[in-house]
Amino acid sequence: MTIAEVVGAASAEAIGLSADACLKCNVCNTVCPVARVTDLFPGPKYVGPQAQRFRLGALLSPGTGEDSVVESPDKTVDYCSGCGVCSTACPAGVKIAEMNNRARGANRSGHVPRLRDWLLGQTDLTGWAGVLTAPIANWSLHNRLFRWLIDRFIGIDRRAPLPAFKAPPFRWRLGKRHRSAQLAGAPPPERAVVYFHGCAANYYEPHVAAAALEVLERNGYEVIVPPQVCCGLPLISNGLYGAARGRARRNLEVLARYARAGYRIVGTSTSCTHTLKSEYREMLDLDDADARAVADATWDICEFLLDLHDGDNLDTAFGTVAATLPYHAPCQLRSHGIGLPALDLFALVPGLEAIDTDHDCCGIAGTYGLKKEKYDIAMAVGEPLFRKIRSMGATEAACDSETCRWQIAAATGARLRHPVEILADAYRAADVAGPKSPARTEPAARSSPTAPAGG
Amino acid sequence: MPRADVAVVGVGLAGLTSAIALAEGGARVHVVATGFATTHWAAGGFDAGVVRGAATPQAAVDRLARKIGHPYRLVAAALPAALEWVRGILAEEGLTIVGGLSDPLRAIPTALGSTRIAAVLPDGMAAALAPWEPGETLVVCGPAGFRDFWPHAIVASLRRPGSWRGQPMPGRVEPVTVDLPGLAGRHNLSGLDIARAFDDPVWRDQALDTMARAVERLAGGDGRVALPAVLGLDDHAAVLEAARRRLPLLPFEVALAPPSVPGLRLYRALRAALLRRRGRLQIGEPVRGAVGEGHRVERLVGPAAAREFVLTVGAVVLATGGIAGGGIVGLDDGSLRETVLGLPVDAPLGDPWLLPDAFDPPGHPLETAGIRTDADLRPVAPRNVREPLAENVRIVGSLLAGQRYLRERCGDGVAIASALVASRSLGAHVAALAGPEHRLLASGSRAR
Ligand SMILES: Cc1cc2nc3c(=O)[nH]c(=O)nc-3n(C[C@H](O)[C@H](O)[C@H](O)COP(=O)(O)OP(=O)(O)OC[C@H]3O[C@@H](n4cnc5c(N)ncnc54)[C@H](O)[C@@H]3O)c2cc1C
Ligand code: SF4
Ligand code: SF4
Ligand code: SF4
Repeated sequence: MTIAEVVGAASAEAIGLSADACLKCNVCNTVCPVARVTDLFPGPKYVGPQAQRFRLGALLSPGTGEDSVVESPDKTVDYCSGCGVCSTACPAGVKIAEMNNRARGANRSGHVPRLRDWLLGQTDLTGWAGVLTAPIANWSLHNRLFRWLIDRFIGIDRRAPLPAFKAPPFRWRLGKRHRSAQLAGAPPPERAVVYFHGCAANYYEPHVAAAALEVLERNGYEVIVPPQVCCGLPLISNGLYGAARGRARRNLEVLARYARAGYRIVGTSTSCTHTLKSEYREMLDLDDADARAVADATWDICEFLLDLHDGDNLDTAFGTVAATLPYHAPCQLRSHGIGLPALDLFALVPGLEAIDTDHDCCGIAGTYGLKKEKYDIAMAVGEPLFRKIRSMGATEAACDSETCRWQIAAATGARLRHPVEILADAYRAADVAGPKSPARTEPAARSSPTAPAGG
Repeated sequence: MPRADVAVVGVGLAGLTSAIALAEGGARVHVVATGFATTHWAAGGFDAGVVRGAATPQAAVDRLARKIGHPYRLVAAALPAALEWVRGILAEEGLTIVGGLSDPLRAIPTALGSTRIAAVLPDGMAAALAPWEPGETLVVCGPAGFRDFWPHAIVASLRRPGSWRGQPMPGRVEPVTVDLPGLAGRHNLSGLDIARAFDDPVWRDQALDTMARAVERLAGGDGRVALPAVLGLDDHAAVLEAARRRLPLLPFEVALAPPSVPGLRLYRALRAALLRRRGRLQIGEPVRGAVGEGHRVERLVGPAAAREFVLTVGAVVLATGGIAGGGIVGLDDGSLRETVLGLPVDAPLGDPWLLPDAFDPPGHPLETAGIRTDADLRPVAPRNVREPLAENVRIVGSLLAGQRYLRERCGDGVAIASALVASRSLGAHVAALAGPEHRLLASGSRAR
């Protein structure tokens, strides 16, 4: 095995071993958004490959899960936001962010989790509690005293962007769509996709899910929404690997069934889709046939739509959307390694001028920026981006990740939208403008139904 | 699956300038790279060539262009235009480049106390280029606690005439260390941290005041002051202007060990220029192979989070930087492999890995390993140079065979000149393919 293969392989073992490829060139330290704004964090080179030698346990008994991971003597790794910018910059292919993530997990395993970190991981639970009590829950989220209390006693910063619950949850609005865990009765995989909505679209942003359904159905696909739980990423990033594995197994059981039958799994949350594609195997060591099948079948929605376009199967009859739209490519999306499909899709919409804001991280990094000791860091990380959006005078901006949208919206006052919402707008604009455009309830806007190009 | 008229592999000087030139010509350009490139290690100037006895970069380039097998044989003619074009692009992004190919090569101080030879430099370093007068003082001034720049060590070496390569040296060389606000006692203080501190106008004023007072005490009459290359990152032009105004002597920056702040400025300016021209950048995963038909590459393939990443392309520019950049790797059996297309590598014969002296004066022979091309920079087999192996591929930068960029210091010149040659020849190619309605992009080739 050459070192290049070691570095390239996506297994837990390779993550640790990739430290050996470090040239000590410092490039990662130049790009880390957290090290840029605080001295509390010395930077990826020190916390990643250099500290890795002190976490050798993970290498000496690889593949046995979290028990083999030795606690990191360098506790500053807790300040790494996990944004992954360092891993993409490293000329030698060192998996720095992934290494840090595992080190954080190791530092927390065996300890009783902080109530706050536990809470932030339970997006299913808080989501349900929130939508069931939406009026009260939303009121308390904006109540100064309540926010002060959770700041003081739980450690979620009172200024942090917490989204409002939207009742009823998206899953209650599915109508006649297939939503069973079983394949029986589902439309065939040539004409249908499985939609993974994740927590955000279910509890907070049902309009994103609605836009996704609209766009997918417009392109001739029926949408299946099988039972699913939180993908587990909030648990992973709060170091709660055991609980995350439980969520992962429940999702894999259902989704693998669909994946094996040839369905593609499409998600609007770029962090959920990244978790399905990669974190189950890389971070949770669930590298079995089910995980592999689900990873191979999972698509970020913009990636999926661009793939349709590549096969000439995307309905490109977009209406005009006259706007200048700042677009933030979230680091979660960059970790997919699929380019910036949203920008390629925006280019198909007449009148739309999307501007790549080209900033590394908005700061929130999932739940990082919500935490009291990290809120200021997160805001400082995102500040150049916020300034750019403010100076463009934009009232709307687009971003594929929900937590980034909330962070940017809170900081700039702009309305933040998922790219698929913009595309749904553009289809609707065509309907208004076009003389004989088909009614939106019709399944497909094209003349010939087409099969997905792969799967 | 994204599509591009041209995919550029590599984000070094060669890749970025190729991409900018092509995007400027109207092509849809998608740049992919494993990671950042040598820009982050480089001094931020433009080395076109250094050859014993050549007084200017142009003279060195002319000499190298006569060497059999040297890439300058193919691209030297484009170098003057390339340099002026790059200068214009960078000026648009607020980065000024000083000096030309016919200006004298001068010895300028380094952070190790030696000198290096240069003629074309970023504005911040330009004041080092004027010949020294005997009445001049050189003050070397650095922040206390900064491990990459030691004024006393630098001065000890620069006081020796032998350090100046036979060129005029200052009459007096003096060190001074200053305490800049908030830096003392900081861990892991890097040049980049100080550069970011300089971006803050308030800190900048305090720091420059402190430096001005310290330099004042040493400067008798005429002279210049050498500072580490940390004068701002985002706001470099303003910091430089303030430094010139506030310091009693004319300041110039001295490049530091990596990460190089001037190199970062260069990278960021080129990146901004590319995005301004609607180029796409994707950094973080290598390209590991390609799919093609006959003599055409049609898709590039690389790893991604789950499935492979596939990029449908009309043409490809390989700017993967050779052995140092990751474009060529050595295998266990001692053979060399080009990492994207598996092109045949032209390497010196024999057993080039093992030499009696690692720092042999002529340089390590492996340095010349690379890809052979025809005059249009299309790859050819080392022993059949007439027939291009792929008609829609161009090779640029340090991946080109036959150069010794460390010894001949020709890497930057080869990079930008080859970028211009490649983009010109591909420009015609892309226009023919794309036509007015971008036939290439509309054609229905299925990726999967
Ligand atoms: C230590 C060192 C010192 C040097 N000093 C000098 C000097 O003093 N003067 C001088 O003129 N030149 C010098 N050079 C040469 C310098 O590299 C060139 O001057 C110049 O910057 C051209 O580089 P490039 O763009 O061709 O490639 P590089 O800057 O090497 O960039 C290569 C790019 O290709 C990417 N890449 C490689 N393989 C793949 C793949 N399979 N898939 C995707 N991406 C890939 C890399 O990630 C990187 O982005 C030096 C080089 C090194 C390494
Ligand atoms: S960028 Fe990669 S090689 Fe360079 S110091 Fe960081 S981890 Fe090491
Ligand atoms: S993952 Fe992000 S925050 Fe963590 S070290 Fe890397 S760049 Fe820094
Ligand atoms: S918050 Fe947004 S931009 Fe930042 S870490 Fe995540 S995905 Fe990245």
